[in-house]
Amino acid sequence: MAPPLAGIRVVDFTWVVAGPLATRILADQGAEVIKIERQSAVPRRLGLYAELNRNKRSIAINMNQPAGVALAKRLVALSDMVIDNFSARVMRHWGMDYASLRQLKPDIISLSMSGMGHTGPLSSWVTYGPTLHARTGLTMKMSYDERPTGFGYSFSDMLAGQTAAAAAMIALWHRARTGEGQFIDLSQFEALIQTLGMSVLNLTVNGAAQPPSGWHPQEAPAAPHGVYRCRAEDGDNDRWIAISVRSHGEWRRLVTAMGSPQWASDPHFRTMFSRMNNRELLDRRLGEWTAQQSAYDAMERLQQAGVPAGVVANGRDLCERDPQLKARQFWATVKFPEGGQTRTITLPFRFSATPPAPLHHSPQVGEHKDYVLGTVLGLSQSEREQLVRNQTVWE
Amino acid sequence: MADGAALAGLRVLDLSNLRGGLCGRMLADMGADVIKIEPPQGDPTRRLGPFAGNQPHPDRSLKFWFYNLNKRSVTLDYAHTRGAELLLQLAESADVVIESFDPGYLDRLGLSWDALHERNPALILCSLAPFGQTGPYRDYLADDTILTALGGMLFVNGFPEEPPLRPLGLQTYHVGSIFGVSAIMGALLARRHAGVGQWIDLSLHEATVASLEHVPGQFFEFGAVERRRGTLHWSGSFCVLPCSDGRYLLNSNLGEFANLVEWMKSEGMAADLDDPQWEDVSYRRKNAAHLFAVLGEWLKHHTSTEVLERAQLLRLAFAVVHSTDDLPNDEQLRARRFFVEVEHPELGRKFLYPGAPYLFSATPWRLYRRPPLLGEHTREVLCQDLGLADGELEVLHAEGVC
Repeated sequence: MAPPLAGIRVVDFTWVVAGPLATRILADQGAEVIKIERQSAVPRRLGLYAELNRNKRSIAINMNQPAGVALAKRLVALSDMVIDNFSARVMRHWGMDYASLRQLKPDIISLSMSGMGHTGPLSSWVTYGPTLHARTGLTMKMSYDERPTGFGYSFSDMLAGQTAAAAAMIALWHRARTGEGQFIDLSQFEALIQTLGMSVLNLTVNGAAQPPSGWHPQEAPAAPHGVYRCRAEDGDNDRWIAISVRSHGEWRRLVTAMGSPQWASDPHFRTMFSRMNNRELLDRRLGEWTAQQSAYDAMERLQQAGVPAGVVANGRDLCERDPQLKARQFWATVKFPEGGQTRTITLPFRFSATPPAPLHHSPQVGEHKDYVLGTVLGLSQSEREQLVRNQTVWE
Repeated sequence: MADGAALAGLRVLDLSNLRGGLCGRMLADMGADVIKIEPPQGDPTRRLGPFAGNQPHPDRSLKFWFYNLNKRSVTLDYAHTRGAELLLQLAESADVVIESFDPGYLDRLGLSWDALHERNPALILCSLAPFGQTGPYRDYLADDTILTALGGMLFVNGFPEEPPLRPLGLQTYHVGSIFGVSAIMGALLARRHAGVGQWIDLSLHEATVASLEHVPGQFFEFGAVERRRGTLHWSGSFCVLPCSDGRYLLNSNLGEFANLVEWMKSEGMAADLDDPQWEDVSYRRKNAAHLFAVLGEWLKHHTSTEVLERAQLLRLAFAVVHSTDDLPNDEQLRARRFFVEVEHPELGRKFLYPGAPYLFSATPWRLYRRPPLLGEHTREVLCQDLGLADGELEVLHAEGVC
C-alpha cells in the first residue's frame, strides 16, 4: 500500500523545533516536504536537527527580495499545504497570508502554528517551549514543592508539533472529500493547555487549586508510587526505578518478589488507604530494598511477578540498551550521500499494510535547489543561474 | 448534526480507556461520530477522581468528562458472546475502532483484528498499547508513571541532587493519543486509494521516546547522556529566576540579548556581560550558568512584570511563571474565547472546559454534546442503528449484556 500522503506536497517555512517536527511527521507518512530556508552553513546531518529534518528537501530562498517571494509563491501554486510557525505578521508581510495563498491555489491548506495564535493581545509574543511552559502553569505546578521546576526540555514543542501534524491530516481528509482547503490557526499555548485539562476542570468545576504535582498519583490511587534509587552501575549513582502499585494484588506480589521482608507486614501498610497515609515511611523502606538492586534486574523481577515497574531510562538506556525498542526496530539508520550514517528515531506506530516510509538523510540547507527549481518548477538552466546570480536563491 | 464538519460521516467505536481517551476526543471534536463502548459497569475511568462536587459517581468523574466530551456512550458487555456479536455488527458500519487494552485481550473475546477485518474490510483498528503488540515488554504492566520512566520522560526533569520529577498531566497517554490521530487519519487517507483498512500498532512507550526533544539526538551525535539541570533548559538558553516581587520569571538568552544587557548596564549591573564575546549566542548558551547568575542578581531589583513587558518589546522570549489556576483568567485565552461553557443539564449547571487547540476556518472545532452519561445512547444506537426491538434490548439488559 502506498504511504498515506504520497503525492502531497508541503511548502515548509517552519524553523526551530515544533514546526519542523510537524512537517517531519508528514514527511514520514510520505508527503514531499520542501523546506524554504535562509542561507546557513550549519551542518544538519546529526543530532536533534537531523532527527527533525530527515525525509525533507531544502532550498535556500532570499525572502527579502520580491523575486524570492515570487518564487515561493510559484511553489505554493504547485503544492497542497503551507506550514509556518511565525507570528501572524511575517506571512502577511510577504503577501502569503491565507487570503493571498488561496488566490494562488484555491484549495490550499495553510497551517500556522504560532506560539500564542494569530489573534488576541499577545499574538506578537516571542515564545519558545519554556515560555509556554511558564505561561500555562506547567513550570510552577510540575514541581516537588513550591519551587517552580517543570520539564528539562521543550515538551511543548513536541506536543505542538504532534498536534499540528494531526490537524494537518484532518484538513487533508476534509479536502480529499470536499475539495475545500482552509486556514488553521494553531496556538502552541492552547495545544499545551489541552494536556492540562484535568487541572483546569478541577478548578472550574470544584474550585480546587492545583497543588505542586510532585509524586502524587495523578491517574488512580497507588502506593507505593514513585521513583526509588537503585544500586550504582558503572560508577553512576543516578539509577532509579519507578514503581506503581495500584491494587492489593500488586502489593502482595511486590512483597513476595522482595522476599517477604518483615517490615512489609507492618499494619501501617496493609491497605491502600494506610499505605497512602504512611507513604514517607513506605517509600523509605522500599527505597532500602531498591538500593540493593540493579535497576534492570529489579524491573525484570517485579514485572515477572506482576508488579508495574520500569527503569528510569537515560539516553544510553534508550538508544543502546532497551530490548523493546530494539525488537520493534524503533531506531533506524540513515545514510549520508557523502558517506557515513547516523541512528535516528522512527514513528511510534506501524501500519499492517503500509510499509514504513524509507528514511532519507536530513538535507543541508539548499541541498535540493536543482530539484525544486528544475524538476518541480520547470525552470531552464539559464533562469536558474540568473536566480543564483541575483542571490535570490543561495547555492 | 456534524454537517460540514471535517470528520462528518465518520463513525468511530471507542473501546479505549484513559490511555486512548484523548484520541477519540480529538476526532469527536472535529465532527466524527465517536461512540464510546463501555462495559455495563462503565469505563474504569468513571471510577477515577476527582469528581464533580467531590461526590464519587460514574457520571461525575472529571477525568471521564475531559476525555469524553462530544462522544456518545453505549453500554455493551463484549466479554459476553452476544455482546461480542453486537460489537461486530456495529463494526460493520464503522470506519475506525480505537482500543487500548493489554495486547491479546480482544483476541480472547473473538474480536481480533482478523475477525474485525473479515466483518468489515474497510475498517481501521487503532490499538494503543503500553509497549505495542510485539516485543519482549509486550505484556509488561504499565500506567502513565511507568511509561514516563521507560520512555525517558522522567530522567531529565528536576534538580540534579533530587529524584527525577514526574510530569504534570498524563502526558504519555496524550502524546500516544495525538500520534494515534495522525495514524488514523493516515490510514483513512490510504484507504481512499487502497479500499481496505488496516491495523495500527501504536506503542505509548515509543510515543514517549518520540517526545523527548534532545535526549536521543544528544546521544547519537555526542554520546552524551543528558541529565537533570533544574530549570536550566538543556540548550542553555532558558532558566527560571526569582524577581523582587517574589514571582518567578522565565528568562531567555536567545534573540537580541544585547538589548537587555544595555538595560542592566544602565543600572551598573551588567557585570562582564557587555564583553563582546557575549554577543555570540552559542557562547551565551555554553556559559549559561554565569549569564543567568548575573541576570539573577539584577532581577532581585526588579519586579517580574516590569521586566516581562520590556523584554517582550525587545523581542526576548521571557514569561512570568504563572499557575495553572490563572488559566481561566488569562487575557490571551479570553480574547480567543478558548474556554467553552458546557451545560450539564443533569446537574443543572454549566462548567468551563478547555476548548479548541486550533481554529479551522472552514470546519471549526465544535461543542456537540457534554460527556455522555453511562449508557445514555445505548437504546438510540442498538435499536435505531442495529434494528433491535425494544423487547430484545430489555432482555439484553436483564442478562447484563448492555
